[in-house]
Amino acid sequence: MSGVVITATGVISAAGTGPSNVLDAMAAGVGFVKEGRTWPAATIDPSQAPWPDGKPWVDNRKYANVAALRAVAAARLALQSDEPRGDDDDSVRCGIVMAVGSSASDGLGEVMPRLAAMAETDPRPLAKLLYDEVPDYSYIRGIPSQIGQFVAIASGFRGSNVAVYGEGGAGGLGAMAAAIRLLESSELDRVLVVGVQPPLMPTLSVAYDRDDPLGTEAAPGRGPFDVQRAGTLIGEGAAALMLERVEMARARGIAPAAEIVACEAICATSRARALDAAVSLVMAGDSQRPDCWWAHAAGSVVMDRDECHVVGPRAGAPVTSSKGTIGNAFECAALIDVALAVEALRQRWLPPVGLLRQPDPALGKLDVVMGAPRSLPAHGSALVTAFSHGSDAATAAAALISTGGTS
Amino acid sequence: MNSDVVVTGMGVVTPIGGSVESFWEANLAGKTGLTLEHRMDVAGLPCGWVAGIIPDEVKAEVKDRHGQSNRSWGDTLMHAAVDQALTDAEVGQGLVRPAGLVWTRVWPGPSGSFPEDYVTHMKALAKRYHTVGGDPAALTGYLREQPLPPETTDSSAFPAELSARLGVPLHAMRLEATCSGGLRSIAEAARLLRMGKVDVAVVSASVSRSTPYVLSQYGQLMALSRWRGDPAQASMPFDRRRTGMVINESAGALVLETAEHAECRGVDTVHAVVGGWGLAVGADHLTAPSEAMIERVMRTAVERSGLTPNDVDTINAHGTSTRLNDLTEARAMHRVFGERMSTLDVCAVKSLTGHGSAASGITESVVAALTLCRGVIPPVVTCTEPDPKCNVRTSLTPVDRPVQTVLKNSFGFGGQYASMVFKRPANPRCGVA
Repeated sequence: MSGVVITATGVISAAGTGPSNVLDAMAAGVGFVKEGRTWPAATIDPSQAPWPDGKPWVDNRKYANVAALRAVAAARLALQSDEPRGDDDDSVRCGIVMAVGSSASDGLGEVMPRLAAMAETDPRPLAKLLYDEVPDYSYIRGIPSQIGQFVAIASGFRGSNVAVYGEGGAGGLGAMAAAIRLLESSELDRVLVVGVQPPLMPTLSVAYDRDDPLGTEAAPGRGPFDVQRAGTLIGEGAAALMLERVEMARARGIAPAAEIVACEAICATSRARALDAAVSLVMAGDSQRPDCWWAHAAGSVVMDRDECHVVGPRAGAPVTSSKGTIGNAFECAALIDVALAVEALRQRWLPPVGLLRQPDPALGKLDVVMGAPRSLPAHGSALVTAFSHGSDAATAAAALISTGGTS
Repeated sequence: MNSDVVVTGMGVVTPIGGSVESFWEANLAGKTGLTLEHRMDVAGLPCGWVAGIIPDEVKAEVKDRHGQSNRSWGDTLMHAAVDQALTDAEVGQGLVRPAGLVWTRVWPGPSGSFPEDYVTHMKALAKRYHTVGGDPAALTGYLREQPLPPETTDSSAFPAELSARLGVPLHAMRLEATCSGGLRSIAEAARLLRMGKVDVAVVSASVSRSTPYVLSQYGQLMALSRWRGDPAQASMPFDRRRTGMVINESAGALVLETAEHAECRGVDTVHAVVGGWGLAVGADHLTAPSEAMIERVMRTAVERSGLTPNDVDTINAHGTSTRLNDLTEARAMHRVFGERMSTLDVCAVKSLTGHGSAASGITESVVAALTLCRGVIPPVVTCTEPDPKCNVRTSLTPVDRPVQTVLKNSFGFGGQYASMVFKRPANPRCGVA
């Protein structure tokens, strides 16, 4: 046992705010991945992520990109439900771990082609033209820990601020593993883990598609585990998890939502080896199998296969996935899944997989949740698995969470 | 058994040296790596464009040994620094447990790392604009036919390649903490070791972003040196004439292990012992440094090392050469060290190398380790007119004196503050493999 508990969650997805919306949609067979220009996507309504009013928010808006808006909104959702104090009095040390990428974070995908065409005839040297024409602060606006600083302002957390992402991020579980180490080592008492996936820029989408195909159709039979799945379905999202050591939560009279038994992010020479190592580590101290498995399962032909072959026999539990319903919110997908798994354990039912019509027999013997939800026991446990997108992404992560013994 | 975390391997690729020994010699000799960046036209900008550039012969060697098709230059530099560190530590395939990897690669923007990369990128964007304009429906089809630089996504094969080299899985963490990312990486690797998750951990960082885009963006921030004289003087931490920082390209790597593990595999000398650290996030201002936060992380680092300020022998400063950072750091030093500041030697490596963002935290920690082992504090040769408002004791020549402890600072955008203590090991290493 890590001794670390989840005391609050905040989720923003295409289904709206909060984890229950997603669970209900999955149960009802409602999907939010909508057809797009090339790739369908589950997008967030901008009104779900309003920028706060008043000082210092208005003054600092110029430093915020869309990821910052969503990170702050998700963090505030978690803070609203928990209301912890910051660490201004130094008696409680609180920090932030972000899960948000950096590539294309300057948000200039639409601006730069026009400037490039302008540069062909403009007499100004290129550096001067960019100095004059690129919107101010674009480069620093998207720095992951710059976004974390906004979360620090929202939360009052001053302990430290770091981002974990990309190859080592594993959809946010890399960030959660880092947060747990900060708590277990007693460096911090409370950590807000915040993940964000803003809309994918076209260039980034094409690059992702080259690494491993993105799904081109959001229809029944194109979801995770399906024999006709044809690629990862794109999603947007933001999620915040409040983690703290169990004694800290109890000291302030908070009933934890779940305990994190273990969480590890591992890189190896292949995704399958990494996943094997991560699952082995998190399940090593727990002799019993989990009550459910919340899989990464993004609908990728290769990645679903790798995941099921490695994890399926060891999990031995009903498996579900959110990505047929709200898409794959890459950098923060696993943080959303942890929040969903916590809520499912709390409500004691596991929703079915969206867009799944016929499970792929090549994935091995799986107990996939289809059609109707499954019931879960009181004080249940869930295995959550995740990895980063792409052929080079040989980092995988696993987390085991439990609602047993958290009261 | 000894529970310390020790530095057993080091590697650097910097503007003043492509190996630890050449880097150290340049530090002591006051050899600059700053040069006018002739590859870019900076006319009309409020700043000059002096940069810390890795010498061509070093670049060529790095590219020859570590370059691969579709490997970004940032990753290539990373491989070069890590290769040096692993060789120095004599760490290979003999590990029996998973190792640690904490690394950071500064995003150079959407192109490669060099001016010509960005010009090529802009030409491609112009062609795209003329071909598909703003038509989003046509854009994807167009992009699918185009080559994309490896910097397009955050993906990197580096961790998997290191896992293959070491023959074990890695507790891998790619982090971003702006310019404090190097020190933060060392802290997170030491945490993995102290918690018993791993016996050995690699820490690495690289940066290379000498493009018109990055120049324009830092120019907008008014953060770059506006010095118009000798480029060698452009970065002058704690000098009254300082006008801003100089960006560099560089990479650094360390191998950390538990002292117990090092002893068990027969390592008889080490570079440094990792002491305590202090971390904090400031939120009072989005870009300006905070004296209170710098004081806080320095005090925390000292206290968690089981020391008092009186025990600190020298400070390896963040020292960026910006007006505000240096003054704020100096004021915080005075708050922590009081009257000792008149005798406390301070070095500022960026005076010679320029600022390598996260990589600086590692390359400057290499200097801290060598300071401990060899009993020499490098000079700050560009601080010829010390700013009385800073009132920091720097030297124009190397200072020979026994050093038991070094306090290392790194700060950055995002409200990032980090400070760490390094201690002289009982068995200091005199040379680097």
